[in-house]
Amino acid sequence: MLDPASIQPAVVSIPAAIPSPEFAWAGLILLLPVLAAVLSTICGARGVKGKLPGAITSIALIASFVTTLMLFLRLPDDAPRTVHLFDWVAFAWSGTAPNTSFLAPFALYVDSLTLLWMLFVTGLGSLISIYATEYMEADVGKGYARFFASVAFFLFAMGALVMGGNLIVLYLGWEGVGLASYLLIGYFYTKPSAVAAAKKAFIMNRIGDLGLALGGFLIWTNYGTVEYDALFKAISSGAAPAANASAWGAWAIPYCLMLGAFGKSAQIPLFVWLPDAMEGPTPVSALIHAATMVTAGVYLIARMFPLFSLDPNALLVVACVGCLTAFVAATIGMAQYDIKRVMAYSTVSQLGYMFLGLGVGTTFGAVYHVFTHAFFKALLFLCCGAIMHGMAGQLDLRKLSGVRTVKGFGIISWTFFIGCLCLAGFPFTAGFFSKDTIIAQAFASGNPTFAWLGWVALFTAFLTAYYTFRVWFRVCAGPQKYEAGDEVHSHDDGAHDAHGHDDHGQAHGHAHGHAHGHAHGHAHSHAAAHAHSHDWHPHGPRWAINGVLLVICIGALLAAVPSYNGELQHKPNWVETMVAHSSAASGIPSHEHAAHGHEAGAAAHHALSFTGIEDVHTATSVVASAVGVLGICVALWFHLLNRTAADKLRAALLSNGLTRWLPLLLENKWYVDEIYHAVFRLPSWFLGHVLHFLDKQLIDGLLVNGGARVPVELGRLFQPLYNGALQGYAATMAGGIALIAAWVFWIWMHGG
Amino acid sequence: MLSTLTALLLILPLLAAGGIALGPARTSKWIATIASLAVFAVALAFSWGFPGWTDGSIAPSDLGLSVMPSLGINLTLGADSVGVMLILLTAFLMPLAVIGSFTAVVDRQKEYYAWFMLLEAAMIGVFLARDAIVFYTAYEFTLVPMFFLIAIYGGAERRPASIKFFLYTFLGSVLTLAGVIYIAAQHALAHDGAWTFDLAALATFASSELSNTQQYWVFVLLMIGFAVKVPFFPVHTWLPLAHDQAPTAGSVILAGTLLKLGTYGVYRIALPTAPVGGVELDQFIAVLCIIGIVHAALICWVQTDAKKLVAYSSVSHLGFCMLGLFALNSVGATGSVLYMINHGLSTGALFLCIGMIYERYHTKDMAQLGGLFKVMPVWSFFMVFFTLASLGLPGLNGFIGEFLCLLGCFSAEPNSVAGYPGLLGPWYALVAGSGLVLAAMYLLIMLGKLVWGPLKEPHHDAHATTQSGSSLPADLSPREIGILVPLALVCLAIGVYPKPMMEAIAPSVEKTLAAYPKLVDRYVQDGSLVAPRVDMGQGVARAQPVGSE
Repeated sequence: MLDPASIQPAVVSIPAAIPSPEFAWAGLILLLPVLAAVLSTICGARGVKGKLPGAITSIALIASFVTTLMLFLRLPDDAPRTVHLFDWVAFAWSGTAPNTSFLAPFALYVDSLTLLWMLFVTGLGSLISIYATEYMEADVGKGYARFFASVAFFLFAMGALVMGGNLIVLYLGWEGVGLASYLLIGYFYTKPSAVAAAKKAFIMNRIGDLGLALGGFLIWTNYGTVEYDALFKAISSGAAPAANASAWGAWAIPYCLMLGAFGKSAQIPLFVWLPDAMEGPTPVSALIHAATMVTAGVYLIARMFPLFSLDPNALLVVACVGCLTAFVAATIGMAQYDIKRVMAYSTVSQLGYMFLGLGVGTTFGAVYHVFTHAFFKALLFLCCGAIMHGMAGQLDLRKLSGVRTVKGFGIISWTFFIGCLCLAGFPFTAGFFSKDTIIAQAFASGNPTFAWLGWVALFTAFLTAYYTFRVWFRVCAGPQKYEAGDEVHSHDDGAHDAHGHDDHGQAHGHAHGHAHGHAHGHAHSHAAAHAHSHDWHPHGPRWAINGVLLVICIGALLAAVPSYNGELQHKPNWVETMVAHSSAASGIPSHEHAAHGHEAGAAAHHALSFTGIEDVHTATSVVASAVGVLGICVALWFHLLNRTAADKLRAALLSNGLTRWLPLLLENKWYVDEIYHAVFRLPSWFLGHVLHFLDKQLIDGLLVNGGARVPVELGRLFQPLYNGALQGYAATMAGGIALIAAWVFWIWMHGG
Repeated sequence: MLSTLTALLLILPLLAAGGIALGPARTSKWIATIASLAVFAVALAFSWGFPGWTDGSIAPSDLGLSVMPSLGINLTLGADSVGVMLILLTAFLMPLAVIGSFTAVVDRQKEYYAWFMLLEAAMIGVFLARDAIVFYTAYEFTLVPMFFLIAIYGGAERRPASIKFFLYTFLGSVLTLAGVIYIAAQHALAHDGAWTFDLAALATFASSELSNTQQYWVFVLLMIGFAVKVPFFPVHTWLPLAHDQAPTAGSVILAGTLLKLGTYGVYRIALPTAPVGGVELDQFIAVLCIIGIVHAALICWVQTDAKKLVAYSSVSHLGFCMLGLFALNSVGATGSVLYMINHGLSTGALFLCIGMIYERYHTKDMAQLGGLFKVMPVWSFFMVFFTLASLGLPGLNGFIGEFLCLLGCFSAEPNSVAGYPGLLGPWYALVAGSGLVLAAMYLLIMLGKLVWGPLKEPHHDAHATTQSGSSLPADLSPREIGILVPLALVCLAIGVYPKPMMEAIAPSVEKTLAAYPKLVDRYVQDGSLVAPRVDMGQGVARAQPVGSE
């Protein structure tokens, strides 16, 4: 257990927010997407056949981004601002206790953390919306309007989540993004697997939502408010929460919020929904399930950091869960063949890093990693999507090779390469800097537990580099060879085919492993490719996709710039400044020392002292670079230079009874879905049937109907000539009334 | 003016029922439509001029007609803010239910619409009653129209369903009547034979002059009748059957308003009249609420019939509603009243949606239907919308009530800061909160089967026709859209701006719960208010009145 003394919760003062009605126009950031959602829905209802919904949504989102930018430029940096839009859940009563009202106005709380998040949310949102206008064009007139309405609604909900001035507005956004995610994962609604994935995502998130709600309740009972400003005021005034106000003390608050964060950000134990969420269209995977929505959990903890910093043990839990998730997800990512799934597990893993960063106390590292990850992971997903789009839905990395040399795929392949470098943490890329900040803090904190987590994080960095370049070397490099996916038919048929596949996969897949399902898939794809080979060619994307890829690629590269400033000029980079000026900076234990690590402590022994480098940051950078490059080299060997070696290794592991478990465990995703099914789903489902039976047979049958028979039988006894139903009921009533009269009399006698 | 409107609220539907009975059959649905719309307009006018929005007072306070002076029975009418809201809910749902029946009911239309008008009068009568006998009469009278609506226009098992519905709720409310008569008799005994059935007077008398043990038993009696109506676990089993068999419009009214008579009865009569019982049984009732929430939610999970699923979901949802009420604080009770209204809207709408499917395919079996988005996108939009409202998505109406019920329960601890002390707490809220997850599960399973997935339609219904032989369009007709749009708009409006409602409910809640804080404090100190007799039912020692004198 962590020694609480090792992290001293600093008494922090967060400047009181300034009510700023003059910034009411910031509400446009939320309003514009709502308008776009409504208009797109109307387009859908009117059956508009064209790209109008896409255009509306893209324009609205760009406008929303511009508004955010204006807010960013205009807002003075002195203190957080609150903007009261309208009263939402708000009422008062007369009571004796301190709480005589519940106030959750629809208000905005804008500080630099809010702005940082909103900039990349609206920025990437607009770019991905433009990308989707081309990507989704096969669905024009069908699901096109529904798609863009959902995307626009998502941007509204995400905005409410990030900009909301209290936990209730955050909750609105929280559930709102869950709904958008549900609608978009289930976009291909005729596919049972997509419907199931959407449902799973929503329900898993609801478990987290319950945690968030309970955390909100607890904050209200302890601090008497759910508004950030008042809450931070209460915390930084050092006033203890209303003493023993609750059977659950204030200590439970971070644990409840944590559950919410883990649900939304797909951490252990609630991570299994995210990989399944890849059933949605790829732009959605990029926007919602990589760049923005899944970082909401990180936002929540960063926003509530003053609360978390009161409890070192809670932060320790966050760090451990994050680190474990990073490791587990990376191992699964190594063994997946579907490139989108690799990226999905990679997202889970990278989110784990962010939570590790929060847990070890570098909110800057966590937020910076959110920021850089948003760019390069969106880029990676969009590249996967572009390949899939051009290859008729092909996502299996064994059936794609040398795509780089196919005509029209050049931009995709090279932007993909840059995204991979960032994800792999190749030296001097954005991902490298942000990940290192987190790992270095783990080592620099001087806490032995954190140092262990640092080692795991370093090993995970090696795995990350390996699985990332496994994809790139397989898909983009090597000899040109590809098979069409199953969307070579018209779009709808494609969806139906996919449905057929999944049925088989589910029916036979789990017990017998992948082989069966894939055999089937193979046969089918061959047949399909064969039948249509004369009229199918891979087609490269046009300007909307290529342009967006280039812009986001540049963004991913530029995301490293703040760190160049920081590392080379020893100034805090601007992301760090923004975090430092927000509530997320507060109470970071000796943050200034650790982040710049030149003064105290760092010169002493740290876990990486064996490198001979005194500064823990430099040491981490060196080790992490080495690890990353090593991972890339291993991938290079197994997946480009000697591809058969990978298959041989897998076969060798499988054939050996002692090592068989390893590939099976990884390929079956640690059997987490199966465990959930056996431990939660099946028993509850069974219980449902049992209760249904009891409800009908015991409560209704025996007690109610049986009870009703008693007076009926009595009535028959007394009136043997009349045994029609009506008389029975009359007797029932008479008997009942008599009984009641007797009872009342009895009470009267005894009670008075 | 207000008195006239109050009287109109009762008289208009009765007149309409008479008109329908006397007029030709082909006019009956139009008379019913016009009358129910007129009642809604009157209800709006009434609420516009209603003076009690801010202080929880009852208005009009001067409308009365002495019926039996010797027994103190008066036909006094008036409502407080909560009653007015429920009247508005009733008057709003009724035209929608009537218009929703146009194609579904073709035989015996006269009786059908006449019964509906009588039902409306009876329900409004309950919410307007200021006299216990008026209340009880109207309360019981709602059973008669509903009985016939189910028995004549229901499904295959309509006979047993209607009889069970009638007897079950009738027997329950007989107990309630016994409780009321007992109080009135005690009042007469204590006041030299002066009988009264005025609800406020009875409540004042019972809560201040009856001994704790008397209050306890009175509360039990009152509660039994209301609990059946709610329906409260374990006396809920009439509901799934009744819903399953009732015609669509019957289900809408049953879920939308009739069930609220139970919760309203608890709120208006049981809680203020016998606060000792409310405190003493608080935790017991809360546990039953929670069992009901989880029990019904798990049963929903395994339903194959969409209508039964929604029916069982009502049992689960009303568990939340009762839990909020029995948090015994402002937050919870305000949430509970909001829940009554919002459940009426969203569940009523869900029954309408399922009815529209039933009219087209003559089945509600989710194994035979699926992927209807492909053929009925407009219907699917509304279905998804109301399902989301039902599962409490923030921004729609269901959220606020549910959230406040849970928050009220969570903060209802002896030394709570939530305005009042209470006897529940976080653990109750945690277990009840699992109902939120389960609700998402069963409702999304329903959506996953009906709306999404590959298209599945029953074979024999290639061309959907109604009973009347006139064909319905594949997707919703303008009439059907016209029914659902107002509901959706109201759901959205309440979700976005619930503040006026909360502010109107809060003062009424304070009056209802006025006696509770002190009693809860004493309960916490002494461990019981009616010890030792009621405790575990051991011994027959006479209870000592613990200071309600």
